[in-house]
Amino acid sequence: MNWYSHLLSSLVEPFGYSFMQRALLSCALIGFTNGFLGTFIILRRQALLADALSHSLLPGLAVAAMIVGLSSPWGLLLGGLIAALFVALGAQVMARNSRLKEETAVASLYIIAFALGIVLIRFARVKVDLTHFLFGNILGVSNGDLWIAYGAAFLTLVTLVLFQRPLLLTLFDVAVAQASGVRVRWVETGLLALTVLGLVASLQAVGVLLSLGLLIIPAATAYLLTDSFNRMLWGGAFLGMVCAVGGLFISFFANIPSGPCIVMLMSVFLGLAYLFSPRYGVLFKLIRGRHYHEESLERWEGHQGHDHQVPQKSLEKE
Amino acid sequence: MSTPHHEGEPMLRIEDLTVSYHRVPAIHHLSLSLGSGHCVGLFGPNGAGKSTLLKSVAALLKPETGRILIEGIALDQAASLIAYLPQRESVDWDFPVTVRGLVEMGRYHQVGLVGSFSQRDQTAVEEALELFNLTPLACRQIKELSGGQQQRAFLARAWAQEADLYLLDEPFGGLDRTSAAALSSALRTLCDGGKLLLVSHHALAEAESLFDTAILLNGELVACGPTSETLSPQNLECAYGTAIYSGAHHHS
Repeated sequence: MNWYSHLLSSLVEPFGYSFMQRALLSCALIGFTNGFLGTFIILRRQALLADALSHSLLPGLAVAAMIVGLSSPWGLLLGGLIAALFVALGAQVMARNSRLKEETAVASLYIIAFALGIVLIRFARVKVDLTHFLFGNILGVSNGDLWIAYGAAFLTLVTLVLFQRPLLLTLFDVAVAQASGVRVRWVETGLLALTVLGLVASLQAVGVLLSLGLLIIPAATAYLLTDSFNRMLWGGAFLGMVCAVGGLFISFFANIPSGPCIVMLMSVFLGLAYLFSPRYGVLFKLIRGRHYHEESLERWEGHQGHDHQVPQKSLEKE
Repeated sequence: MSTPHHEGEPMLRIEDLTVSYHRVPAIHHLSLSLGSGHCVGLFGPNGAGKSTLLKSVAALLKPETGRILIEGIALDQAASLIAYLPQRESVDWDFPVTVRGLVEMGRYHQVGLVGSFSQRDQTAVEEALELFNLTPLACRQIKELSGGQQQRAFLARAWAQEADLYLLDEPFGGLDRTSAAALSSALRTLCDGGKLLLVSHHALAEAESLFDTAILLNGELVACGPTSETLSPQNLECAYGTAIYSGAHHHS
């Protein structure tokens, strides 16, 4: 009985520190939101686009650091937002008005933005540590950062849930969605803007790399497990939240950096789904029958004896 | 149907339609009108503008001149009346959606952004699945269907949408005889249900058994009418034999 209460008290120990409370809360928020958004990114095959966008935040951050300094989270948020939106929307405009494809335009623009960012950082008076943007500082999350995470999560989730149907139609087939009256361009631009918002809002806490991981890996895991769009959506969000919070706990007790810990935890789930998913797992594919046996049997029997009939109605009409 | 319906208007009316890609006209001053309950084949050599015509009616391309009316309604108001069926290659078959989910997508327009499916919506979905013999396959992911079944699943989605005008781009491409026969009888079902079907088609061989009406294109309208008359030797010579057919027309 004694060991039990000891375990319990050590488990709730992290909640005693206010920095840990903020860290847990922002992990849960960011994990859930990014996991939710991830489904849309994956089904649009834009995982690498999101990666490119995450790098294009740099010049905005540099300019923000020059103007308002590093202390205010709002300056960095705004700077990163503007820079990434500039790259994302600029690439869309370029792709629509020239023969350049979207990924080419994005790759060109983000590299240009990245280079510009490095140049600008040299002129910034304050010392800017790049690793901070890559990995964030989850234990240094301030109340201001938390408010930003709240706002971004709220905006992203409400928008995505509200426009889930047009989004689904667009993701599935752009031409068909457009023909059925969906404003495809608005949907695509909106999704891009939300991706940028998600990346920037989680910058302070988890950095762009982990933010990207939370965007892609939980949704990819869910994609391997289900054939239902809804389940992939909420499953990815739930998994993102669980991994972010769980990873933070492990990092607290094992005394290792939280970012890599969260990613490793996510990778465990991805690996398990890749191998053992009942429908799409590598191992189960080997074991499972190679086709629907009853159906092929039925088709075979159906073909015995009578041939199919080509309809003759059109000729009868005339 | 809640959309205003102008009595006496043909299902599809195209007036003086010109559509260009990168300044090269693909369809030139085309006018025609078609009533409901027909299965219309679109014929013509490569580059005759078959796909262009379908995409224009689907409002995917902007006309340079002329206009398109569906039941007397301008195209941008008539989106729910039109079902454009994607070409096989443009579909992501790994998408996490079952056959039922696909057919339910057809109801999104009626259901709205966040509303839940009413009894009527459910019935429409069940009916569409039943009509195209997909009920036993409803829970399959769309990749786990044969080519013909996949075509039927998209037809069922269009049926659930309560579309009146179906646009199909080369649906028979890559189908074997059995699947083609099944698709053809599915098209016939739609046609008997008072729908108008516009189907681009490659081969002339079985044209008469598949389509009651034919449109022959060669950048311009060569002929339009009952299949046997439209695909006469003279017309075919006109469409396939010569360079771009150029009847009398003038530019303003």
